[in-house]
This record gives sequence, C-alpha cells and structure tokens, in this order.
Amino acid sequence: MAEPRFDELIHPSTRLSIVALLAAADWVDFGFVRDRLGLSDSALSKQFATLEEAGYVVTERLLVNRRHRVRVRLTGTGRRAFGGHVAALQEIVATADQTVAP
Amino acid sequence: MAQSIGANDARSALTTVEYSRQQVIAEIDLPRWYWLGLAAGWFGMGVVTDFGPGWLVISIVPVFGAVHASVAHRVLSGRKRSSQLSVRAELAGTHIPALVIGFLIALVGVTIAIALIVNADGANHPAAIAGAFAAVIVALGGPQLMAAVRRRALRRAGP
Repeated sequence: MAEPRFDELIHPSTRLSIVALLAAADWVDFGFVRDRLGLSDSALSKQFATLEEAGYVVTERLLVNRRHRVRVRLTGTGRRAFGGHVAALQEIVATADQTVAP
Repeated sequence: MAQSIGANDARSALTTVEYSRQQVIAEIDLPRWYWLGLAAGWFGMGVVTDFGPGWLVISIVPVFGAVHASVAHRVLSGRKRSSQLSVRAELAGTHIPALVIGFLIALVGVTIAIALIVNADGANHPAAIAGAFAAVIVALGGPQLMAAVRRRALRRAGP
C-alpha cells in the first residue's frame, strides 16, 4: 500500500484516466489511449507532454510492421505518484465514511 | 492538500481509476487467430490420421507440437492480445499459460475418447470426426475460457 499523497498533476479527470490506464499496463499504444478516452491526437499529446515533463511517463517511437507507433509507459516515479494519489483518495473517502458513521 | 477535495470528488476519481483498470482488464485475451489456427490444426490432424500416408500420420503430431510451441510462447501469457498494449502481469495473473495448456491436454483426452467411441460405433473416419468435434470446442471454448479469466481478474481487482 502506497503512502497517501494527493497529486494535483494527476488528479484532473482526463489525466487521471490516462495515468490509470498506463498503471494497469506495462506499455500502451498512443492510439489505444486516444480511442478509449475519445481525445484528439493534439489534446492527448499535450497531456502526455505535461506528464513527461513531470517525469511520470516516457514515450517511445517505434517502427512496428513498417508502421510508426508511439508507445507510452509509466515511469517508476509516475507509478509511485499514482499509487500515492489513489491511497490519498481512498483516505479521503474512508475519513468521510467514519465521520458519517454513528 | 488532500483535504482540498471532498469525499464525493474522491469517490468519483476512484470510479474513474476503476473504469480505466477495467478497460485494460478487458484486453486480457489470446489473439483470435490463435484459437482458429489451433482448431484448424486439430481438425487437420484428424483428417491426416484417417486419410494420410503412414509417414505423415507419424510426423503430424510432433510437427503440430513444434509449430504450437513456437507460436504459444509469444501469446500464451494473455497479456498481448494485440500490439496496442501489454497488460501488467499482476493484473492478468501468471496462471493463464498453465490454464490454456491444461485445457489443451484435457482436449487431447476428449479427442481420443470421441475417436474410440465413434470407431466402436463403426464409423469410417473416427479421427476426422473426433478432430472436427475438438476443433469446435477449441474455437468456441477457448474464447470462453479467456472470458472467465477476465471475470476472475475483475473480481480480484475489486472496486
């Protein structure tokens, strides 16, 4: 269980969806993320650029079956940040539930 | 900082995380061509056993096994159905290759049993008939087996 640590960079809904997809995989093709989230290439590139700048993801350009593919994966830093963020969210919910409970 | 959002926002964010994870779990599978190729090979072995020359009957099983082994090691993990992503091992589990191999071993027994029963009944081409039956089980049962694996992965991942 990661130490709870709310991460403002990850939290916005689109970025959270992207990081959660990447966290469940070793690597993901750019097109897979784009199609699942219904984003344009440019919008997704912008999100990846922000995450890459923070050191949370790395992108690799590969030639697969004579086609250029972009693969994205979460770094160790990104994985720890995501784990901490999820733990922080769970902590918020747990605290609220304890407050409500008699 | 953690207190800057409310419980409802946190719940909503956790739902988003869970939905994303489910989308990746939905990708746990073997390629469709693997099951179809296996079914075709199984039927082919039955046909060769009934109609082929002796040398081919003797060599078809080891050749089939060798071809399967060369292909299987790349796909049997169930983590790379397509070239679009590789599911993390802890999410897919490490049991899928053993499960598929177990399924195939059981199918060998079923094929032999059907061939013996059909032969005892006096049919002319017991191996081809048994091979066809097994091929249908592979083509339909294989994807069902992987669907069960995905359901299990979803339960393990939990809400």
